[in-house]
Amino acid sequence: MIFASLISRPVRTLVSVLAVALEVTMILVIVGLTTGIAKESGRRIVGVGADILLQGPNSSYMLALSSGTLPVAIGGKVKSDVPGVKAVAPVLLQTNSQGGLDLVYGIDPVSFEAVGGPFHFLDGQMFSKPGEIVVDDLYARSKKLRPGARIELLSQTFTVSGIVENGKGARLFLPIGLAQEMTGAANKATLFYVKVDEGQDVDAVKTAIEKFLQGYKVTRMSDLMSQMAPSKIPGLEPFLRTVVFIAVAVGVLVIFLSMYTTITERTREIGILRSLGASKTYIVVLIFEESIVVCLLGVIVGVFASKMVAGTIVKVFPTLIVTMTAEWYLKAAGFALLSGIIGSFYPSLKAAKLDPIEALAYE
Amino acid sequence: MSKCRAILETVDLRKTYRLGDVDVEALRGVNLRIRETELAAIMGPSGCGKSTLMHLLGAMAKPTGGRVLINGRDIAMMNDGQRTEVRRKQIGFVFQKFNLLPILTARGNIEVARTIQGTARGDGHDEHLAELLRLLMIEDKMGRKPSKLSGGEQQRVAIARAVVNRPAILLADEPTGALDSKNSEIVLNMFRELNRKFKQTIILVTHNPELAAYTDRLIEMRDGLVVHDSNPVGDEEISTLVI
Ligand SMILES: Nc1ncnc2c1ncn2[C@@H]1O[C@H](COP(=O)(O)OP(=O)(O)OP(=O)(O)O)[C@@H](O)[C@H]1O
Ligand SMILES: [Mg+2]
Repeated sequence: MIFASLISRPVRTLVSVLAVALEVTMILVIVGLTTGIAKESGRRIVGVGADILLQGPNSSYMLALSSGTLPVAIGGKVKSDVPGVKAVAPVLLQTNSQGGLDLVYGIDPVSFEAVGGPFHFLDGQMFSKPGEIVVDDLYARSKKLRPGARIELLSQTFTVSGIVENGKGARLFLPIGLAQEMTGAANKATLFYVKVDEGQDVDAVKTAIEKFLQGYKVTRMSDLMSQMAPSKIPGLEPFLRTVVFIAVAVGVLVIFLSMYTTITERTREIGILRSLGASKTYIVVLIFEESIVVCLLGVIVGVFASKMVAGTIVKVFPTLIVTMTAEWYLKAAGFALLSGIIGSFYPSLKAAKLDPIEALAYE
Repeated sequence: MSKCRAILETVDLRKTYRLGDVDVEALRGVNLRIRETELAAIMGPSGCGKSTLMHLLGAMAKPTGGRVLINGRDIAMMNDGQRTEVRRKQIGFVFQKFNLLPILTARGNIEVARTIQGTARGDGHDEHLAELLRLLMIEDKMGRKPSKLSGGEQQRVAIARAVVNRPAILLADEPTGALDSKNSEIVLNMFRELNRKFKQTIILVTHNPELAAYTDRLIEMRDGLVVHDSNPVGDEEISTLVI
């Protein structure tokens, strides 16, 4: 009965299924994209390989990204004066907004590798001449770069000297000296990555640094990771809630319209069922079941569509990451079914309320 | 005369429709008793209240006044759910316009009735259905949609659907009204057969005087009243007490 009804109105069924699929795709891709990017930047920071992050007073990792305010010399002091510190790497952050938003690390390769281990070069080598830059593989792929290629960044032209494996904090690396020159912040850094000696208790070293540099912000990298979780990023939760709300609203409206119009179309059919002894509940359940089937088909199509869209996004923009978790598959399916139930609520009641005799007489 | 049971009884049955500020009195006090296993025909001019009476006898609507007793239970006192249950368990309808579900095959239409009535499997229902289809000569048409069946065939599928669950009463409102004379005859013969073979109680509404030949009893109506009855059920004949 349900399938016969859906098959007998193929266009309506197809459009409803596609609308629900759109709802599912919208939720999965947008949520996947935002959480993917958030997780990826978290993963990259951990990938630096440090134990402790040292920042100036009142700074946060997410905000105020580019301000060179700390004297580089502090790093050396921490290394020599605080027991248990193995290496300290100053980093001057810059954000490049030419052709996307990218984080640029100004680093001193020796201390940076002392903290996090050596870079893994896939092609070329570390910058050595003025005007050279190192990029990661994803950035290289998205901009189709090879060593020797020239790129426009931060209103300057650079030559790519090497391509490293991604996951080391940023996608672009410059000599810290050059970065200081460009920003007019001589001998300044934005933050320091700290590595503790083998077998040292990270907490103890953190406490020691806090004592040594009163008022500075000292964070364990493992704590930072949880701060970078999508739920901690300001504005992300409301944004996702809004996306889900709009998607569900689309689903509800389409299911409502689809079911509402069929009720009028099927008045006679409902009269016939009632004359055969079908109860009001039977009619309500019939309409609900039909919309649930539409939603389930929409979920299946939507999941496949999401995978395709995600695949295409990652292919076209290699620096983007779409994370679709089992949790969100279930949530998206749940929201799709919810919109089916809300959307068919009124139509099903309207159908059940029809007078059997009038419904039978309907032309 | 042997005592029998009135399976269906109306007492001073009234139905008034409100059309704007005008009251249309469709039934103005109908008293009628129908015997079990009877094949009765109701005749009368257009607008005299035949369909209205059938709807009330079939628990499709509530009377404005009086009583309708189906197997001794008054549907006037029932709510929608209870009337639905009476339709499901006791009544089979056949309409002038066949009223098959166009999206389903002939078999699908019959199955829907069985699903609604909860008799889809077992209890000899399948044998009963097979016998019915043989009697109605539509066994080989079961896979077709109504649009691929002739009017006579559609009406026979509708009859099969109406009686597949062995209702106490089969109500047919102008069942041959949309059929040519040849198909009308076939369908009327089928009612006769159903009545003889399965002892099915049947009430037919018709405009066709020839139909009288097929029935045990002719009831004539006019202006919302029964004006003639060829074989009325007297009080002395009734064995069951009506509450
Ligand atoms: N829903 C309704 N609202 C208002 N008046 C109605 C309604 N249904 C029937 N009537 C009126 O009640 C009267 C009886 O109608 P009914 O349909 O029972 O007649 P009928 O004997 O079946 O006629 P026909 O032979 O043409 O089918 C008519 O005057 C009709 O106009
Ligand atoms: Mg009529």
